[in-house]
Amino acid sequence: MTPADWTCPRRIGFLFPHPCGRISPVGCPDCQNGQVQDPYAQRTDREGYDNYGDYDSADWPGATGASGEPLNFTEADGERLVKPEEEFEGDLTAS
Amino acid sequence: MGGRSSGLWLIYALGGGWGHLTRAAALARVARGPVRILTNSPYAGEVCARLPDLDIVALNPELPVARAREEAVEQIRESGAACLIVDTFPRGLGGELASLLPGLGAVRALIHRDLNPVYVRGKAIEEFVRSNYDVVIRPGPAEAAPLAGLPQVRTTAPWLIRSARELPSREAARRLMGVEERQCVLVLAAGKIEEQAWYGSVARALSGALEGVGVRCVAPSCPAGCPEAGWVRYWPAMDLLPGVDVVVGGGGYNTVYECLACGVQLVARAWARKYDRQALRAAGQAEACPTVDEVVAAVRTCLARTRARTEFPNGVFEAVEILERVSG
Repeated sequence: MTPADWTCPRRIGFLFPHPCGRISPVGCPDCQNGQVQDPYAQRTDREGYDNYGDYDSADWPGATGASGEPLNFTEADGERLVKPEEEFEGDLTAS
Repeated sequence: MGGRSSGLWLIYALGGGWGHLTRAAALARVARGPVRILTNSPYAGEVCARLPDLDIVALNPELPVARAREEAVEQIRESGAACLIVDTFPRGLGGELASLLPGLGAVRALIHRDLNPVYVRGKAIEEFVRSNYDVVIRPGPAEAAPLAGLPQVRTTAPWLIRSARELPSREAARRLMGVEERQCVLVLAAGKIEEQAWYGSVARALSGALEGVGVRCVAPSCPAGCPEAGWVRYWPAMDLLPGVDVVVGGGGYNTVYECLACGVQLVARAWARKYDRQALRAAGQAEACPTVDEVVAAVRTCLARTRARTEFPNGVFEAVEILERVSG
């Protein structure tokens, strides 16, 4: 039984590894209901990536700022993606 | 209903699905004074049709969030309620009660169903409840309660829409579902509208797999994939449970506690919810099965067991006593 105040201590995420933080392992697509101890550790295919990469305008036409500079991922983007603010009190169909 | 409480009790029961509205209706139907329910459930029409004597104000579930917040506050202010009973969300589902409660001249009671601890921490709920509620009622000692440490907390038995003496006999319940087979499996398709198709698939798979067993699916409209002949439109589903051997459902409050009260085995899929931990509630009370194949296998196992009949208390009566005491 999952304790009432439990949050998942594992790390997940391919591009942006981050603490999982789910409040139950049931139905978790990352650790398969707690069966995988550290899902991220299994992902050795990330070894070739050493930064966040960029949207090179040659490869991604249109992905440029107003002055034509490429729009790259930044550390701030990573932070935002891995720590999305939990949206409470914004959905009146929730329960 | 009598006339012991003269002031209006207003139950704030906003929230999707059936749970908040059913819990509110369970309380309202046994209260001894005037009660109004404020809801935005898409199922309000079903409840109004079955309990036409209840005073239910149903907000349009499609309202934009800002408008729904305004309407909820307007309804509370205009009601002049002597007691505001807030189901589950201390600050209101949209946060609209946070600024209203401190200046509200009414007794304030919180029905403390389980809450996501991330929400409790993130919105400083414990402090808010400590300062703004006269009483907190935990509807069921087994229900997880992150606010259980507050001094205003009182615990009752689970709140149920029917008491033991109101339930039909096994035979009468089977007649309601048109079941003639010796055993019956009921797929209880509560929860969100987008989850109905999963229940429809389950009903179809069970109908194909279980020879000589009556399979029924109770839902407001026939879920996609569910055999039409097995669909039952009925509320409250608790009336059907005396005639059922196994329920397949979610891990919501009413499903779990109704099955527990009636001694019906539950095969549950715990759905993800923003504020509620269905998996936590269902743990130990149900066979947890996320896939249709697992459900079929678990139902076969359950059908081989003997169904336990139980007597059960209904916590709404004690809740009424508590609310009458704090309302003076």
